[in-house]
This record gives sequence, structure tokens and C-alpha cells, in this order.
Amino acid sequence: MREVYVAGIGITSFTRLEYPLIEIAAYPALMALRDSSLDKIDHLYVANMGAGRLNHQTGLASAVVDNLSLTPAGADGIENGPASGASAIKQGFLAVASGMHDVVMVIGAEKMREVNNLEATEFVATLTHPLAEYIYGVTLPSLAGMFTRLYMEKYGVTSRHLAMVAVKNHANAMLNPFAHLHEPITIEGILDSPEAATNNPFVADPLRFFDCCPVSDGAACLILTSAEVARKCGRPMVRLAGVGQATDTHAVHDRKDPTELLAVREAARQSFAMAKLKPTDVNVAELHDAFTILEIAESEEVGFFPKGQGHIALEKGLTKLGGQLPINTSGGLKAKGHPVGATGVGQAHEIVQQLRGEADKRQVKNAKIGFTCNFGGFGNNVVCLTFVREN
Amino acid sequence: MEMNIYAYKCKKCGHVQYPYRTICRNCHKNEHNEFDIVPLPKSGKLLTYTNLYTLPPDFEVVTLGLGIVELEDGNKITGQLNIDKPKIGMKVKGKVEVVRRDEYNEYMGMIFYPA
Ligand SMILES: [Zn+2]
Repeated sequence: MREVYVAGIGITSFTRLEYPLIEIAAYPALMALRDSSLDKIDHLYVANMGAGRLNHQTGLASAVVDNLSLTPAGADGIENGPASGASAIKQGFLAVASGMHDVVMVIGAEKMREVNNLEATEFVATLTHPLAEYIYGVTLPSLAGMFTRLYMEKYGVTSRHLAMVAVKNHANAMLNPFAHLHEPITIEGILDSPEAATNNPFVADPLRFFDCCPVSDGAACLILTSAEVARKCGRPMVRLAGVGQATDTHAVHDRKDPTELLAVREAARQSFAMAKLKPTDVNVAELHDAFTILEIAESEEVGFFPKGQGHIALEKGLTKLGGQLPINTSGGLKAKGHPVGATGVGQAHEIVQQLRGEADKRQVKNAKIGFTCNFGGFGNNVVCLTFVREN
Repeated sequence: MEMNIYAYKCKKCGHVQYPYRTICRNCHKNEHNEFDIVPLPKSGKLLTYTNLYTLPPDFEVVTLGLGIVELEDGNKITGQLNIDKPKIGMKVKGKVEVVRRDEYNEYMGMIFYPA
């Protein structure tokens, strides 16, 4: 396999965007082309989950490649639930690594605010098992609620730990101009004050409003190239060094121990093995915190902390900016936002910025190795990526 | 007649799976539909639960109790809860009732009560 580099990046704000989906997808692509000084590509992958259902738009990749005047480059759409973004990056990686293409553009794009929050949640609930989960009214927040309760019982995680994740990620998002929520919060405000019950109500207990990510529009883009092309582009050399993916049972109840996220564990293991690195080598990570509990659980399953110790690491401040291993410096899904199909590409965008030393006020000093975990379904399809800054 | 939720017992190896899979998760050796259909037990213990406050369409209640139950035979099932104060580990008993109604259909599923 050839080595694969990130030669250009771009992103929109993750928020409510008034542009049509095709233009939302095209904007970060223009930025990434300018960033890399490239004006032609061999192939385009577009990650998206809901265009057919939410935006009355199918064949998104064909529409976007023409909007960017990049025809006749090949173009494929990738729908893999909330892991679509990293899945598309994986396809781009394979295309360059195999030698089939030298320049591949990967876009993740989603426009969810076309519908209201309940409809968006209902759309995402179509990920669940149709007969064993969906008919009961199971949504992603309900699966996360049941997971959290069991996690609390087993490992001593409390609502206070969950709130600490939210407070940390909201604080990080304050330093990210592209984040959806620019809203500083405190434990006092969302948990202890008399107003907490009204401003932070239960969504799926024990999960509250501030434990859940917002519904966002947004898009991000990465241009992946061979080493030869990347050197010509002249941007800092960031290599996509490890790619791992694994699946788990469709219905969450079908897992031997529902608190174990085996697909996260396996995808991370593969990604580190390919990169010839260990979890302890990582300087900065973006984990898929669609719900606050997931940042804690994933920080254990990918190997940063022992099982059951993620909340202790959080308590000690290890995962804060300035800590030993900052997690979700972008604000995470929790505060940067979660345009489902774009999220995995957005996570990679943050890591590339960090490894280039271009993350401004949220820069992790001397970050050389970065990691992302993009989590589909409720952990039934997970893609982990490892990035390395060279020279 | 009492209604049931059914599981699928592999004719090749005897493994019982719920929900349905075309290929047996245990032996991977079955031919198409080579399963005996067997009723799931209805008693078990509550493994975890939630009260859902932001409800999907079709639900005209304030909160919806949902849980995962470990049944007597070791299989697990997701179901609705009709339990005032659920507690992890409590014994529960299920009934097959309407769990969701939309414009066109009624869907039957397991609702758990305190045993
Ligand atoms: Zn079998």
C-alpha cells in the first residue's frame, strides 16, 4: 500500500445553514482546494445520511461533483449512518493507498435543520432494529439512556461526571469559530441551581438535555493524496497512518454485555496496529460524544484509559485542553455539533488542524499524533482513524 | 389465546436467537429458514431502563418507559415498561400488547410489569 496524506482541508460552521444541501457540501470543498492549491481531483466521495429523506435529494455525489465543476471525476455517495464521514475517508484512503487514484476528495455533508428536532430524532431512530427496537419507540437517546444507567451502576459514573464532559466540551467550543454552540455552561447552572430542573430537563433519564448533542447542519472536506502530490501542495505533511473499522449487533440488547462497545475496541485496535502506534502515543483525540457518556466509554474502549476509569481521568482533568490527552478540542459533537453524515470528516478536520499547528486558541502544544472515533448506530459500526504529523 | 414473541431455534445447532437472523450466529451452518419458531419466555429481570421524555411521533404519553430484560432462558429483549419505580435487577413479567399505533397499523410487542 502507498502512504496517504491530507493535502487540503475545509469546513463550514456546524449550525443552522440556510443554503441548499449541495452548496453546503461544496463550500468546504472550495476551501480544501484552495488550501491544497489543487484544481483537479481523480475521485470524489460524499458522505451523507439523510438527503433522500430530509432534503428530497438523492444522488448527492453526482450533484456535488458537477456543482464543483470537477466532472468527469468519478463520484460515489457513502451512507453509513452517523459513521458515514469516516467511512468515506476510509474509501478515499483505499483509493489512494491502492494506487488507483492520486487525488481523492472526501466531503461529509448534512442538512438536518430542514425538519424540526423531533423529526430529526425520528429520522435517526430509523437506524435501530425495526422489529426488536424501533416499534417500541426506541430512539438513539433512549439507547444512550439505558446504556448510561447500566454504566453508572457498574462503574460509579454519576450525573456530575456527565455534566463535566458537557462543561469541558462547551468550553472548548467557545474557542472554535465553527462550533454550533457558543454557550459557556457550568455544573452549578446545569445541575445544582434551582433553575437546573427547567433549563436541563431529562431527555432519557439519567440523560438530560445538556448530555445530548444538538441537531446541526454542516459539512467538512479532506483532500487525500499520494506523498508526491502532497509534497507539491506544500502544506504541513499529515499522514493518515491508521484506519480501522468494526461492527457489532444491530439490536443493543443482543450484546453479551451491553456496556461493552466491542466495535469501538476492535476498530481502534486495527487503526493503531496499522499505524504501528499505541493509544498512549496519542496527543489529541476527537471521540464521538453524541451523548456525554460516550466520550467516557470510548476513551476506555479505544485504550486511552482502563475500562471503568474514563470518568476518573476526566475528573483529574487529563482530557481538558492543557491536560495529558485533550479530548474533543473542537467542542465534540456535544458542542461543535453533529450533522450526522459530516461528523466523521469534521473530526478529522479538527485533528489535521491540530497536527498542522493551526488550531489557534485551542492548539494542543506539539501535537504530533491524533486520533478520531466515529460511532455509527449505537456502536454497531465504528471507524477509527490515526493521523501522524511528519517532518 | 395468549400471545407470544417468537425466537428462532437453529435446527443445526439448537442455538436460540432473537431477533431473527438469516444465518445462525452460533454455527453459521443453517440453510434458509432452517429454524424452529419458539416462544420467548416472559419472565426475567430488568437489566437497565430509561424513561424517555422526548417521544417519537405516534406516542401520546408524557414519558415512555423502555428497558432491556434478561429472560429466564438467558435471551435478552428490549421492551416497554409499565412499572412505577423501575429498579435494575427487579423481577418483571411481560405481556404481548399493542406497543405502537400509526395511521395504518398496530404493532404488537412486549410490555413488562412488576412480577
Ligand atoms: Zn446454528
